[in-house]
Amino acid sequence: MVRNILSRLLQAVCVLLGVALLIFIMLRIVPGNPIATLMGEHADRAVIERMTAELGLDQPILRQFIRYLADALRGDFGTSYSLGKPVAALMGAAFGNTLKLAVLAALFAWILGITSGVIAAVRKNGLLDHLFMGASLLGVSMPVFMVAMLLQYVFAYHLHWLPIAGVSSWKGFILPAVALGWNSAGSVARLVRSTLLEILEEDYIDTARAKGRGQLGVLVLHALRNAMLPVITMMAVQFSSLLSGAVITESVFSINGIGRLAVQGISGRDIPLLQGTVLFSTLVVILGNFLADCLYSVLDPRVRKEG
Amino acid sequence: MLQVNHLCTSFFTDKGEVRAVDDVSLEVPAGKIVGIVGESGCGKSMTARSVMGLVRAPGKIKSGEILLDGRDIVRLSEHERCAIRGSEISMIFQEPMTSLNPVVRVGHQVEEALLLHEHVKKQEAEARAVEIFEAVGIPDAKKRLRSYPHQLSGGLRQRVLIAMAMICRPKLLIADEPTTALDVTVEAQILRLMKKLCGSGTSILLISHNLGVIAQVCDYVYVMYAGRIVEQADTFTLFDNPCHPYTKGLLDSVSSLRSGAQVLDTIPGVVPNLLHLPAGCSFSMRCGCCMEKCADLLPELHETEPGHRVRCHLFDKEEPA
Repeated sequence: MVRNILSRLLQAVCVLLGVALLIFIMLRIVPGNPIATLMGEHADRAVIERMTAELGLDQPILRQFIRYLADALRGDFGTSYSLGKPVAALMGAAFGNTLKLAVLAALFAWILGITSGVIAAVRKNGLLDHLFMGASLLGVSMPVFMVAMLLQYVFAYHLHWLPIAGVSSWKGFILPAVALGWNSAGSVARLVRSTLLEILEEDYIDTARAKGRGQLGVLVLHALRNAMLPVITMMAVQFSSLLSGAVITESVFSINGIGRLAVQGISGRDIPLLQGTVLFSTLVVILGNFLADCLYSVLDPRVRKEG
Repeated sequence: MLQVNHLCTSFFTDKGEVRAVDDVSLEVPAGKIVGIVGESGCGKSMTARSVMGLVRAPGKIKSGEILLDGRDIVRLSEHERCAIRGSEISMIFQEPMTSLNPVVRVGHQVEEALLLHEHVKKQEAEARAVEIFEAVGIPDAKKRLRSYPHQLSGGLRQRVLIAMAMICRPKLLIADEPTTALDVTVEAQILRLMKKLCGSGTSILLISHNLGVIAQVCDYVYVMYAGRIVEQADTFTLFDNPCHPYTKGLLDSVSSLRSGAQVLDTIPGVVPNLLHLPAGCSFSMRCGCCMEKCADLLPELHETEPGHRVRCHLFDKEEPA
C-alpha cells in the first residue's frame, strides 16, 4: 500500500513537470512578443527590447524554464504582466471563490444525481424513471453557458430571487453552482442508474434476498456499495475539473476565480498568469485522480494490494 | 414439511406467456432429501425460486399454493416472506463464484442472516459463524471470517454459501445445482456435507441436472420436463424401473457411457420453446413411443405403483366404456 502510494506520487511529480515544460515551451513558440501585446502598437522598439531582456524572455527556453522551476519551488510564480501583482497572490485570492463554487456545485450534482439515479433504477420504466432520465439527458446535453443564462433569466431577471452575478453574498453562489453542477448531475444520475440496474441482476443480490433482507436493505447494504465504485471514479474526475476552474461559469457570473484568471491570462498574453493557472489545474486533476484511487481501494477489497 | 400444490409460475413477455412452471405438485417430507432433475430450462430452478419467493419480474406465481408446515406462504406479504427467508427456508445458489458480495467480508455475510432473524449480539453471531464454518469444513475458520470472497477458492466459497444458508438452522434447504460449478472431488465433499445436514433434521430440496448426484443423495426424485413433472418415484425405483420415455432417455445417456459404447446415446431433438408448447404431451415431438393422441391430449400423472407416478399415455388406465 505504502509502496503503491509512493509510486503514484512519483508519477504525479513527473506529470506535473511534463505539463509545466510543455506549457512553458508552447507559450514561447507562439508567434508574437507578449511584451509588444502588453504595451500596445505604438510602443518604442527599444523599450520593448529592454522590457523583454528585463523579464528574461530573450534567454534560451531551457534556462528560462530552470529559473522558473527554481522560483516556483520557493512559491514564486512570477508577476502577472497585465495585473502587476504576484501570480501566487492572485491565485490565492481567486482560489477561495473557485473552491466554494466547486464544492457547492459538486454537492448539488452528487446529491441530485445519486438520488435520482437510484430512484430511476428502482422504478425502472416507471414515470419517475422517464422523468429523471429525460431531465438528465437535458443536463448532459445542454451547454453550461445556456443553463447559466436560462437560470439568470428566470431566477434573477424575472423572479428577482437571486442576484444575477457577483458573489457579494452567499446567495450569489447558488445560481452558478446549479449551472455548473447541472451537467455533472445528469451524468452521475445516468451512471448510477445503469450501474445499479446491472448490479441488481447479480447473483449476490439473490443471495442477500434469500437471507431475508428486505428491498431497502438489499439496495443499501449490498447493491449501492458495489454500484458506487465506478461512480466514485467519475465524481473524482468531475470534482477536479470543477475545481480547476469553471471558465465559462465564472465568466458568465463574473466570479473572481481561477477560471477567470486563466481567461485573463489568455486574452492578455500574460505568460506567468497562464502558466500558474494551468499548473494549478494539472495539480488538482492529479490530486483528484489520486484521491479516487485511494477511495476505490478502500471500497473495493479486490484492488487492494496485499501488505 | 413442504408441500407444493399445483404451482404455476409464468413469465409475461412481449411475445406472450411463458409457462416456466406448469401445475407442479411436490412434497418434501421432514428429514429427507428430495431431488428435482431435468435438462436446463425445464423449470427446476424456477420451481425453487417460486418456493423462495424470488421470482423476478416479468415472472409471477400465477396460481397454486406452497405450504410450509401447513401455512400457505404464497399469500404472505413481502414483509412476512422476508421473515421466513433465511430463517425457515434458505437457499444455496448455483454459482459460488458470483453469489457472494465481492466487497463484504464473508464472515459478515454469513452473520447477516443471524443478526437479521435472531437479533443476537455481534460477538455471539461471530462465535456461531466460526462454529458453522467448522461444521462445513472450512479450515482456519476464525481467520477465514475476515476474508473477502475473491480470496477463497470455488469449493470454499460454496461452503461459505452453505454455511450462510445453514446458520439459522432452517427447516428446509433448497440447493440449486450446488455442485455444478465445482470439480468432482469437491462435489463429493459437498454432497457428504449435505447428507450430514439432513441427518441433523433439515429437509433438503436438491436441484440438479446430474443424475449421478441425485442417485447418491436423494430419497425421492421428481423428473421435470418443459415446466411439468413427468415422473416421480423414490430414487431406487426410478433408477431401477424408469417408466417415462424421457426418464429412460436420460438414464440411457448415462448408461451408454458406462457400457463403454462408442457413440453416446442422446435424446433426439431439443427442449421445445416454452412459448409454443404442443397442446398435448410436451415430450411428444422427441418421443420414440409417440402415439396419435400424444400431441393433442395432455396425459395425467398416473400412479403405476405406490409412490411412482408417470405422466404418459403409455400408462393410461383402460378407459371405461
